[in-house]
Amino acid sequence: MTVLATDGVRKTYGETTALDGVSLSVEAGEVFALIGPNGAGKTTLVRSLTGTVDPDGGTVELLGTAPREADEDRLGVLPQSFSPPGRLTAREVVAYYAGLYEDARDVDAVLAEVGVSDAADTWYENCSGGQQRRVCLGATLVNDPDVLFLDEPTTGIDPAGRRTLWDRIEALAAGGTTVFLTTHDMNEAERLADRVGLLADGDLVAVGSPGELVREHGGDRRLTVTVDGDPTAAADALGREAMTDGDRVVARGVEPAAIGDIVDALDRAGVEYTELSWAEPSLEDVYLALAGERFEPRAGRPVAGDD
Amino acid sequence: MTTTRRVQSEFVAAWHSFLRRRVAVFFTFFFPVLLVGIFGALVQTNPAGGGLFAEDPAYYVPGYLATVVLQTPLSRMGSEVARHREGSRFEKLATTPLSRAEWLLAHTLVNTVIIAIAGFALLVLTVGLTGASITFSPLLLLYVPVGVVCFCGVGALLGALADSQDGAITAANAIGLPLLFLSETFVPPSMLPDWFHPLVALSPLTYFAHGLRQAIWTGTDAGTVLLGLNAVESLAVLAVLGVAFFALGARAIPVTD
Repeated sequence: MTVLATDGVRKTYGETTALDGVSLSVEAGEVFALIGPNGAGKTTLVRSLTGTVDPDGGTVELLGTAPREADEDRLGVLPQSFSPPGRLTAREVVAYYAGLYEDARDVDAVLAEVGVSDAADTWYENCSGGQQRRVCLGATLVNDPDVLFLDEPTTGIDPAGRRTLWDRIEALAAGGTTVFLTTHDMNEAERLADRVGLLADGDLVAVGSPGELVREHGGDRRLTVTVDGDPTAAADALGREAMTDGDRVVARGVEPAAIGDIVDALDRAGVEYTELSWAEPSLEDVYLALAGERFEPRAGRPVAGDD
Repeated sequence: MTTTRRVQSEFVAAWHSFLRRRVAVFFTFFFPVLLVGIFGALVQTNPAGGGLFAEDPAYYVPGYLATVVLQTPLSRMGSEVARHREGSRFEKLATTPLSRAEWLLAHTLVNTVIIAIAGFALLVLTVGLTGASITFSPLLLLYVPVGVVCFCGVGALLGALADSQDGAITAANAIGLPLLFLSETFVPPSMLPDWFHPLVALSPLTYFAHGLRQAIWTGTDAGTVLLGLNAVESLAVLAVLGVAFFALGARAIPVTD
């Protein structure tokens, strides 16, 4: 069942185009992550989906109806820079939002679920950044929503706190909650999302599972050698096409089985190097490639295997 | 029932937030003390020989109350709306069952409680310090909440139009001060040029001060631009204005920043 759907959604602010004909759909129980540079239109798309912004054109459906007609008891929304009243305790913040719904969950159970029971009686403004974000998530989960919108939910949270939130989101998704999140953290998108959409300049340039996107847009596997000397000699020693970038030599399309031969070749050529690394393409490579910020060796000079 | 629950939840959160801001609490209740202390005790009134406060002391009681009923909602609601907007709280609330009217109602109730306490203190101080002789009227109990509803609506409008908390407070002061002195509160219309009288009649605060004065003061009126309106009729006009400004204020509350 389709829970969220947009068709040709457009939104401009003065001269700036925030959304330029965005079409997507999210099915029930799916975790959809929206990635993209700052100003790409992510928050505007979330607001269009939740009915807090009216698009200039196109259609938006949430739970089969216009967003503003959707049953609020089934929605949980965590805005990007959300800050509840600072001089309420964590428990009071969650209880406040619980009081706005017909049926709400037990407040202490929600606090325990998001891992802030210890700070239940602490004023929100005195909680740490990670605790604050978890309290906000608690306030978003208190009505046991069917659809969850999380706009950069882990921004400003330390790694441990981030993992706690990830675990919670995974558990919700496993329980059938539809999750639509925006993030700048590619690990977050890769770990949590069933599908990822990349928004750039208001345009949804790619949608797919993380694996599909990496295969289609992530490029080749890379071997990077950081040399202590002349990179050209190192590139020649590799015996394959490579690019230099300062003291680094990058060869693409290197299979793991070939690494041993390359190490031997570098030793034979007397190349001294400080680091040798091999990497699979990742969602970050997809992001950089499609958002126009891809890493390319600056020298850009093929020095070996060049026809 | 659910509306009651939602308004109660918003009220409790807003009330706790207010009580825990000690500086705000202190100055909210210190303000009437300061007001009566300066104008009632230091400046004093001079019924016989003209001067700044030339009327009977009781004439100014509606003016003192009008000050609290006007200034507190204007500045508190203006800054509250701006604070909610800056913290994306309205964006969050827009996706909950709480409506904008319910939000404004809850905050109006908070202001009503605050102003009822401050107003009572002000009345006691005024009578004690200036010897003002007023008669109790049940209409007093209606004028204060109706006035608060009206000016909470205006405050919400200011908060929606201003782009920051500072802007909202500045706008509240800029609008509040002229209204305060040009609405039959402290300055009788006889001291204003005739051409200005229609403008005095446009101010909601005029209906508050004029009507309340008619309800609690039996002295000789120093003149009014609202000839023919008694206390109940003035209250009715204020109530209509209150409903209008409340509706406009609720509608103006922004959803996003």
